[in-house]
Amino acid sequence: MPAVTSDSGEVNSLSIVPHSLETQTLRVYPLRTRTAPPFWRVSISWGRGSTLRVSLLQPGGAESDGEVVEVNLTNTERGEISEAERQRIAHGSVTPFALLQSRKNQMDELHSADFESAEDKAPLWVHLMEYSNEIKSLLGTSKSYITPTIEDPKALLEDVEEPTSLKAAWELVEMFYADKQSQTWIPERLLDWLADFDCLLSATQPTVHARLVAFQKALVTIQEVENDPEYWEIMSSALGIGWLDIVVKMLRLHGSYQLDQVGTREIESGLVEAVAVLISQMPRLRPHISDEKLGECYNTKPEFMKAWEKWRTQLTKLDCHPFWLQCDHKQTRVGLKNMIQIMLGNANVISNATYHWIELYISHLLYIRPFTVGLESMYTLAQKCMHLKPITNRHKLMGLLIGILEENTEVVLAECSRSFGPWMITHAAELLTAGSAQAEMLLHEEQSKIGGICIEELHRLIYAQILSSHALTWNIAPIYLTSCMKQGLGLLENLLYKQPVQQHQVLSESIEICRLNGIDYVSRHMMKIAGVHYWKHGEKNSAVYWLQQAQDEVRLNRIAKHLFDLVGKSVSDESFKQWEGMIDLLGTESKTAGGLEFLKKYRDFRRSLQQVQDGITTDDARKASEALISLMRNPSTPQQFWLRLLNDSLELLNWKDRPLFNVSQTKLLLNKLQELSLARLLPGYVDADLPPEAFKSVRLALASNLGRAILEE
Amino acid sequence: MDKSILVLDKGTRCTAWNYSGERLVAGLIDGSLAIYDSTDPASSNFTCTHRFKGLEAHNGSIVKVVWAPPEYGDAVACISEDGNLSLWEEIVDDTEGPHWKMCKCFDRNTSQVLDVQFGYGQTSLKLVAAYSDGRVKIHELLDTLELEKWQLQAEFQNVIDLVSKFGNVSCISASISWNPERIEVRQSSFVLGFNSNTPSLNSAKVWEFDLDHQRWLPVAELSLPEDKGDQVSSVAWAPNIGRPYELIAVATQKGISIWQLRSNPDHDGRLSVHRVALLSGHENEVWEMEWDMSGMTLATTGSDGVVRLWQSNLNGAWHEQAVLAPPS
Repeated sequence: MPAVTSDSGEVNSLSIVPHSLETQTLRVYPLRTRTAPPFWRVSISWGRGSTLRVSLLQPGGAESDGEVVEVNLTNTERGEISEAERQRIAHGSVTPFALLQSRKNQMDELHSADFESAEDKAPLWVHLMEYSNEIKSLLGTSKSYITPTIEDPKALLEDVEEPTSLKAAWELVEMFYADKQSQTWIPERLLDWLADFDCLLSATQPTVHARLVAFQKALVTIQEVENDPEYWEIMSSALGIGWLDIVVKMLRLHGSYQLDQVGTREIESGLVEAVAVLISQMPRLRPHISDEKLGECYNTKPEFMKAWEKWRTQLTKLDCHPFWLQCDHKQTRVGLKNMIQIMLGNANVISNATYHWIELYISHLLYIRPFTVGLESMYTLAQKCMHLKPITNRHKLMGLLIGILEENTEVVLAECSRSFGPWMITHAAELLTAGSAQAEMLLHEEQSKIGGICIEELHRLIYAQILSSHALTWNIAPIYLTSCMKQGLGLLENLLYKQPVQQHQVLSESIEICRLNGIDYVSRHMMKIAGVHYWKHGEKNSAVYWLQQAQDEVRLNRIAKHLFDLVGKSVSDESFKQWEGMIDLLGTESKTAGGLEFLKKYRDFRRSLQQVQDGITTDDARKASEALISLMRNPSTPQQFWLRLLNDSLELLNWKDRPLFNVSQTKLLLNKLQELSLARLLPGYVDADLPPEAFKSVRLALASNLGRAILEE
Repeated sequence: MDKSILVLDKGTRCTAWNYSGERLVAGLIDGSLAIYDSTDPASSNFTCTHRFKGLEAHNGSIVKVVWAPPEYGDAVACISEDGNLSLWEEIVDDTEGPHWKMCKCFDRNTSQVLDVQFGYGQTSLKLVAAYSDGRVKIHELLDTLELEKWQLQAEFQNVIDLVSKFGNVSCISASISWNPERIEVRQSSFVLGFNSNTPSLNSAKVWEFDLDHQRWLPVAELSLPEDKGDQVSSVAWAPNIGRPYELIAVATQKGISIWQLRSNPDHDGRLSVHRVALLSGHENEVWEMEWDMSGMTLATTGSDGVVRLWQSNLNGAWHEQAVLAPPS
């Protein structure tokens, strides 16, 4: 079998996402089961979404029983983000996503209506950044990992919640694609990014952050810090990647600052401070900087260049100053000089001070190529840095960053989906399409090979399918599906058809989803299932209710027929009560079935007849007689019940006080009886379950009523 | 990633999940059926709630169980080892709480039923059964609320040339898969293949109901000219959420073929078919194939005891995406 067993902790390629750049190594996932081969049979069934249920059946005589294993094919990045966290992110990202879609739609409409970008409308990238900020806030706190606290001079790093790679990846995509304002100061943004996420890279590779953490632990036990070579090394490293505040803070730990040293180490202290001041005054090509960070910001390149030249001159001047000769403390002299070399852009020193290629890269951008703007030749530099600091175990963030730097959209897309999962690619696609024409084309081009949808839609479908795997997230899948132009509705239908309609909440949520999306035929289907379920499980009233909601005339008619059978078989009061409620329900929409009208009238007739038997007043009797006439006049009253109705009304026909039916009414009833007597001769006639003399009694009663009516008139 | 959700009774021979994945029916070696339900809708732990003996008159194992579409109730069709086909449903009546009763046992004469499948979404429920003598019977439900009353709607052999009739046919297995399309106006269609001693019956054919002439017609044959006699072990029609063509997987001993079927009939009424992939993986027989709800991923099992997942990449090339292997 040409397969390798999965060995790494990452299971994400099991998420069933098609790529175009396949490095096809087939992966084998061992199922954790109690049962072992040989199997009599392995049976499969897809559940909702991307869950697969595998039945492992044992051969006859096997020791153990068989079992069913449920495999969730969507778990990506196991470990970093818990299931609960994933669901929180999934729910939280719905609103920003939906809002962005509606804004985009609005803009499209405006555009097509030839309103050339109305002035009061914000441009797309403003909406995009709003969206991106909301998503970012979902992914964790934005507090920088290396912010020093003021209280404890020896606390270099603040304890903050460990950031996730997902957030790091999101910020990369935002920085390079969505944030139009940061395009001019990408190197500085990358520097901020590394400050937040260097800790993530420590997992696979030595980093400045990791060394800083280790040094922080050791710091409490170190007496004269300036004698420790690690102190100087780490300061150089931190300076190399632009963590100026940390460097200055560390410099202030220098022994020459101690009060008792003032008299003896003035020169030393002066040099340390001079370097610290120059570090704090480093010109930065960025519009603003947070308060705790150091450096002087310049918004435009010419201003920055001018300040840079001046700063460099000061550095060179300091470097050549005669004071150095008077500095007796060797470590301080060498250490400070080394730091000046970094700031002067000495490539060798920089290379020695940094560990990870991305750190070296930042260093290069800061000190060797400070005027880099935009993405110009950034990839060549990255390649050079990677060559200088080769990596054995590449972090997934680096794959994404390299893809971005080499401006290879296919790689970026593949990395987004492969390493960070369907959530990431679905949501990040918004930023990608807005920021790169190539990405826009790649994501929106219809692919005939995958059924005519575009890649953006494909990823949304896959993400929606994953959402629908879970009972707590299935109801947000429709938001993503309705944003799919071609196949979203089809998948939404299939998703709804698999919902357990017996669960009332699921049914009502589904009906609402159908209503919002104009797919009433799906909700009708679901209500039909509910109706039949209740019908078969003895809850007749619920059954009728749901079948009516489903407008299922076939089944309602069938139920009406069932009720007719009841009418024909017995009219005892007990059974009448049983189906009285159902007639009420059926009768509310008399259009649903022709026969129902009859049933409703019959119900009224029965009620008044009951009152006649209870109270015996002529008024009640008159009402009952009117009900009988109305029933007998109605063409929908089945012939098979005529005799039953008349027989039930014998008391009315023989009413003592006065005849209740006038001549024409009695004639109508006689005609019906006549018709019935003819029909009885035809084959297929169903005789009512009545005593044989019933026909005769009715006829007699009618004749006598007619006689009395004629006399009265 | 994976968890055990259910322990099956000893001697289970086949299983099937209902439409929502909330119920499992299992057929057992002693001819009983077992129903498993989830104890709580939020959890996915299942326990056996009903177990009852199948047909009294026929002993032997249950070899196949299939759920009826849910709009006809909670009902299953089951085939026993001796080839009997019966229909069971769960009801509540005046005398008893939820219980299962047999509502229909189909006549079988001499030949055995090999496979059975319910159609979706038609105004009347249809049941297609494939028999060991190579015949196909389509039964139609007469009353939407009663699963007792069926009538035979059609009977034919799985051949393209409707005139030819074959005798002395012996089939080992058959596989049927309905077009999962639910929209009621569409003509119903299904695909069917046999594993038999008669080459012309074997190849998978797509049958469609011709409303005008009220008869079933073979509209496509899913095999290359040189493979026509190949015995088919399994077929699976993919859900179509908006592709301009249908996808059908057909498994023979040569591998799993993925066919594209387009709905543009030629002058003979045949639909154009195109094999887009021949996949090999399972060493011998393919047991089962099932498409996911988007029709993008095909899951298969076979006599090598593993589950394989197949997918097309963005270039339309089909490949094996992953293997799920029980511990050996």
